[in-house]
Amino acid sequence: MTSLAPSLAMASLRHRATAFTATFLSVFLGAVLIGAFATLAQTATGQSVSDADAETLTIMGLVVGGWGSLIVLFSVASTLAITVRQRAEEIGLLRVVGATPRQARRLVVAESTVVTGAGAALGALVAWPAGFLLLALLRNGGMVADDVSYGGGLAALVGTALLVVLTSVVAAAVTARRTTNGPATLAISDARGGSGRMPWWRVAIGLVLVAYGIGMAVVTITVTAHQDDPYAAMSTSGSSSILVGVGLAVLAPTLLRRTSSLVAPAVGRSGVVGWLAAYNTSRRSQLLGGVLAPVIVLTAGAVGVLMLVGIDHRTIGAGHPEGDTINLLNNVVTGMVALFAAVMVVNAFAAVVAGRRAELQRLRQLGATSSQVERSVLAEAAIVAAIGVVLGLVASLATVVPFAIARDEGLVPDGQLWLPPLLVATTVALTLLSARSAVRRLGPLTGAVR
Amino acid sequence: MNSTHALEVRGLTRTYGEGAGAVSALAGVDLAFAPGTFTAVMGPSGSGKSTFLNCAAGLERPTGGRVHVDGQDITDWDEDARTRLRRDRIGFVFQGFHLMPYLTAEQNVGLPLRLAGRRHDLTRVRKLLDRVGLGDRGGHLPDALSGGQQQRVAIARALIADPAVVLADEPTGALDSTTARDVLALLRDSVDTLGQTVVMVTHDPVAASYADSVVFLVDGRVAGRMDRPTADAVAGQMAHLDELVGALS
Repeated sequence: MTSLAPSLAMASLRHRATAFTATFLSVFLGAVLIGAFATLAQTATGQSVSDADAETLTIMGLVVGGWGSLIVLFSVASTLAITVRQRAEEIGLLRVVGATPRQARRLVVAESTVVTGAGAALGALVAWPAGFLLLALLRNGGMVADDVSYGGGLAALVGTALLVVLTSVVAAAVTARRTTNGPATLAISDARGGSGRMPWWRVAIGLVLVAYGIGMAVVTITVTAHQDDPYAAMSTSGSSSILVGVGLAVLAPTLLRRTSSLVAPAVGRSGVVGWLAAYNTSRRSQLLGGVLAPVIVLTAGAVGVLMLVGIDHRTIGAGHPEGDTINLLNNVVTGMVALFAAVMVVNAFAAVVAGRRAELQRLRQLGATSSQVERSVLAEAAIVAAIGVVLGLVASLATVVPFAIARDEGLVPDGQLWLPPLLVATTVALTLLSARSAVRRLGPLTGAVR
Repeated sequence: MNSTHALEVRGLTRTYGEGAGAVSALAGVDLAFAPGTFTAVMGPSGSGKSTFLNCAAGLERPTGGRVHVDGQDITDWDEDARTRLRRDRIGFVFQGFHLMPYLTAEQNVGLPLRLAGRRHDLTRVRKLLDRVGLGDRGGHLPDALSGGQQQRVAIARALIADPAVVLADEPTGALDSTTARDVLALLRDSVDTLGQTVVMVTHDPVAASYADSVVFLVDGRVAGRMDRPTADAVAGQMAHLDELVGALS
């Protein structure tokens, strides 16, 4: 129907806008987070900064910032991967009208560069005052001298922007390559975002990160727990939950396929809504893996580091001169990472659901009520959230257990055991709410054929 | 209103937009489809074929006129009631197959039953898959099936709820001519042996020749009708639709 074409085009544009906004937001937030810590490292190079302060600032900027960067870059890459993969149909059309795989790929990469470039530039701008506030926090906490002046500038900000853009573009190129290779065809397989095997290097990266995190945990129990410096154990165990968490997040699609096919029969018996959700999560794990990843990182990071801070506070921290500031910093970093991961959960769901409009509409045409469609997406979110928090909690043990042992609390920490359930409940609620808002944003799915 | 018709529309109008820019896709269509008949609805692009199908299925609400499915006037039903109607009384076959990509052939065929909360009747699902010649492909995902096989799964799905009417929208539009003939023969067979009612929108004269009769739509109006169509006769009529319109006015 010619008269329907304009509304269709508008709908398509609107959803492309959602996907682009998701990429833009994650790049922007990533650049703010990395940039703010990068300015600390640059401040350390200032003339009047004492050696001790310079060391503190550099460690903070590079080490703490580095861990944040790892999470941020991974998240940006996975959001971008979702949005690029969902354009398979359009890329197929381009191929049919005569674009070479290389041309199609260049188009995708060029678009990603524009979106991520804009996000990174704006993020770097905001990182400048954010770095200033971070330094003020360190000065007030007494971690650096009061006379250290803010030295954040072009080097840190431009470097951050370039790093973020480069990673994003590489992520886009890798995904685009997989989408554009093969014969030109209009009959794009619906299974895009299917459950195909992950490339070996991705499995390798995930396994290395998990092994590294577990290794740090073992080092904490066997070596640093017995050292005189009470914070040696923290420096080795503090990041292991995030390491294991990011490692598991890298493996998310495979983990989702395996675990959801375990829960599928049980969920499937609960009715058609759960049945659809169970099969969608296990057979299209690639797509929903992008949502699972930030849920794991959010749970692992938040539970691991907050429990660590709690253990430190109970054992030494309260009386120790360094304790308060270290923990303040721990909390700030965890807060930023958690906020970022939370935004990623919302983002990833928005991108995934926006790309499934046609498929959900199909369900409506076949006679699913709008409430059935909404509930089935919510059930998917519930499956992803449940698997995510369980994996996240497992990852958080890599920090909690060794540090509790190092501080003589034994396998199980003495207090704050209410914290994991609270964080789990928050994460699950966040996942369900973002799924609901993503479905609602699609508008009424009553649409007609064509 | 004659309640013996599987599908019946009276004075159906559908207008898009308002005021001077309004476009009339359907300008008063009266059609009735008796149970156990196979009817092709033909017309050039923009003649209102798809709008007719959407209104008949309760996907779109008509601007004016009435729609009766299986003797029930569904025109004023709310969205939920029309949704239940779709899964209980209407079977759909689309040009693009529209199978759920993450469900196997068997699961796709059984989906309307599950959506309706009915017992999942695996025997019936298998019998229908056998019927469309895919008894050995029940466990395959759509991705692993050819276009023609996917459309045959879609036909089995359309028949699973034993609907009052099967609505097919260009069911052979995405298929080669050999595969298309298999699909059309299946639709024909569901009318002859199961007593199904099929209404098929198409602009392929060969496809139309499988039907008992052809209805021609032009500019949102019924412009003519042909019983026991042959591909040649339909093609000839399609080439001279302007004469039908002339006769109409």
